[in-house]
Amino acid sequence: MSVLTINNLSKNYGGVRALKDVSFTVPEGTVFGILGPNGSGKTTLLGIVMDILKATKGSYSWMDQQHSSNAIRRQIGTLLETPNFYHYLSAEDNLKIAAKIKGKGEEDIPKVLELVNLYQRKDSKFNTYSLGMKQRLAIASTLLGDPNILVFDEPTNGLDPAGIAEIRELIKQLNKAGKTIIMASHILDEVEKVCTHVAIIQQGVLKTVGSVASVMNTSTHDNVTSLIIEVSAADNAALKNVLLQLNGVESIAQGDNDLQLTCNESMTAEQINRFCFDKGIVLGKLNLKRKSLETRFLEITGKQSDR
Amino acid sequence: MLNLFKIEWLKVRTYRTFWVLFLGFLVLFPLAFYFSAYKYMDTFATKGDFQEEMLKRMIDAPFVFPKVWLASSWMGGMFFILLGMLFILLITNEVQYRTHRQNIIDGWSRMDFLKAKFSMLVFFVLVSTLLVFLMGLLVGSIYSSSMSDMFTGIKYLGYFALMATVYLMVAFLIGILVKRTGLSIIIYFAIVCLVDNILWVIFTLKGNPLGYFMPLEVVDSLVPNPFKPKMLEKRTVEDYALIIAAFTYISVYLYMIVSYFKKTDLKT
Repeated sequence: MSVLTINNLSKNYGGVRALKDVSFTVPEGTVFGILGPNGSGKTTLLGIVMDILKATKGSYSWMDQQHSSNAIRRQIGTLLETPNFYHYLSAEDNLKIAAKIKGKGEEDIPKVLELVNLYQRKDSKFNTYSLGMKQRLAIASTLLGDPNILVFDEPTNGLDPAGIAEIRELIKQLNKAGKTIIMASHILDEVEKVCTHVAIIQQGVLKTVGSVASVMNTSTHDNVTSLIIEVSAADNAALKNVLLQLNGVESIAQGDNDLQLTCNESMTAEQINRFCFDKGIVLGKLNLKRKSLETRFLEITGKQSDR
Repeated sequence: MLNLFKIEWLKVRTYRTFWVLFLGFLVLFPLAFYFSAYKYMDTFATKGDFQEEMLKRMIDAPFVFPKVWLASSWMGGMFFILLGMLFILLITNEVQYRTHRQNIIDGWSRMDFLKAKFSMLVFFVLVSTLLVFLMGLLVGSIYSSSMSDMFTGIKYLGYFALMATVYLMVAFLIGILVKRTGLSIIIYFAIVCLVDNILWVIFTLKGNPLGYFMPLEVVDSLVPNPFKPKMLEKRTVEDYALIIAAFTYISVYLYMIVSYFKKTDLKT
C-alpha cells in the first residue's frame, strides 16, 4: 500500500511555477527523502499535501483514500518549515492545544517532552526558547498520539551537532518501529544517512525518484562503474608521474592537497599502495571514495546553485 | 462548537494582552457608566430650579427605567471597541505565529478554524450583553422611583447584541483579509471612527436616508446617543429596516470570510 500518492501536482505563485507536474508515490514503511536545493519546491509540495496551500493543478491522496480528510491529518505528525507555536504560551500549553486538535489525550505530553529533552523547560514560554529548542518542541509535537506517518521538513534545522545526531537516531528508530517518514531536506548527507528512498526536485521539476540504492546506481554518464580514489604523498608531482604508469587509472585530477584518481572498478587501494611503495613513494593519504549521493545529486541537478 | 471554543480558550487563558483588554472592558465600562449616572443625577438633585427641570424632562433622564437600557447599551457600545481590537489581535496573532497553518496541519479543517474564532465572537457578544444588562439593572434600580415599566426598553439589549456582532464581524473580516496586526487595527479604527461617520454625515446632510445604512451606522442608529435631545433626532428609517440591513451585512461578511479563507494559501 502507498502512504502518499501524488499525481501531476503543479503550483503557480503568480507567474512563478513552483511545482511542475510532480508525480510519485511514497511506499509504506520507508524513510522517504525529498531532496532539492533551496527554493526547489519541497515545502510547497508538503504544504499542498497538508492542505495549507492549494494546488493549481493535480491531486494527491493519503492512504489511497480518494478524499484527503482532516481525520487523516490527525493521524500524521507534521513539522512544516518552521516551528509554529503560540509565543506567549508555555511548551506544555502549546502541546495541549495540538493534542486537543488531534483529538488525543494529554497523557503523551510528558513522554514526548522527555524524548526531546525539554521536560525540564515545559513551563517556559515558547518565546524564551532557543532556535534548537523550538525545533525540538516541534518534533515533540509531531510525536503526540504516536502517529504512523511523520512528515518532517528540514528536521535538523537549527540544531547543534549532538541534536542533529539525536534526531537522526530518532528518525531511524521510528522507522524501525514501522512508521513511514517523509522528510524534506537540502542536506545530502542527512538524506544519505537516514533515507531509504529519495526524490530529487529541482526548480519544481521531479528529476528522479526511487530507492537510494537505485538512484545512486543509475547514472546519466557512462562512468558508472568508476571509483574515485584520493591519494597524496610528500611530492605530489612525482606521485602523479608514477601513477600514470599504473594500469586501471583512467585519469588524474589535481586536488587542493591531493590527487583524485578516477579508476576502473577493479582497482583496489591495496594495489595502488603496493605499486607506489615499489616505486619508492610512501603515500601520506589513501582514501577510497564510494560514489556518494552528493556526486549523483550534482550530476542530476548540475553544479550551479539555483539561487 | 463548544469543543472548538475550549481549544480557543486554551489559546488565550494565559495570554496577558487578552486579559488586559478583556478586563479593560469588564471594568472600565461599568465604572464609567456608574459614575456618569452618579454625576448626572447628582447635578439635577441639587439644582432644582425651573430651567433645569425643563431640561431634565426634555432629555428624559437616561438613567432611570426604562430608558436606562438604551444608556447602558450605548455606553457599552463605546467601550466595546476594546473587544473589537482584541478580536483582531487574536486573529492576526494566528497568522503572525503561523499557528493558523499548524492548527490545520494538526487536523482542523479550514471551517473548524473559522468556527473556533466565531465561537470566541459569540462569547464576547454574550459576556458584553450580560454586562450591559447587569449595569442597566443596577443603575436603573438605584435611580428609578418606580419599577413599573422597567423592562419596556429591554429591546435595546437585543440591539446591543446585534451591534456587538456587526462590530466583531467587521473586525473578523479585516483580520482575515489584512493579516498584519498593526495595519488591521488602524484600518478598523479608521472605519469605526471616520469612514462610517463621514459617509453618514454626507448622506444625511443631503437628506438621503442611505446614511443610516452604512456598515456600522446601521447598528449605531439602533442605539442612538441618549444624551442627544430628542428634537435633534431626525431618523426616518424604521428599526426593522435597520435590523434587516444589519443581518444582511453579517451574512455578506460571513460569506466573504468563508469563501476567502477556504481557498486561499495560508501564508504569512
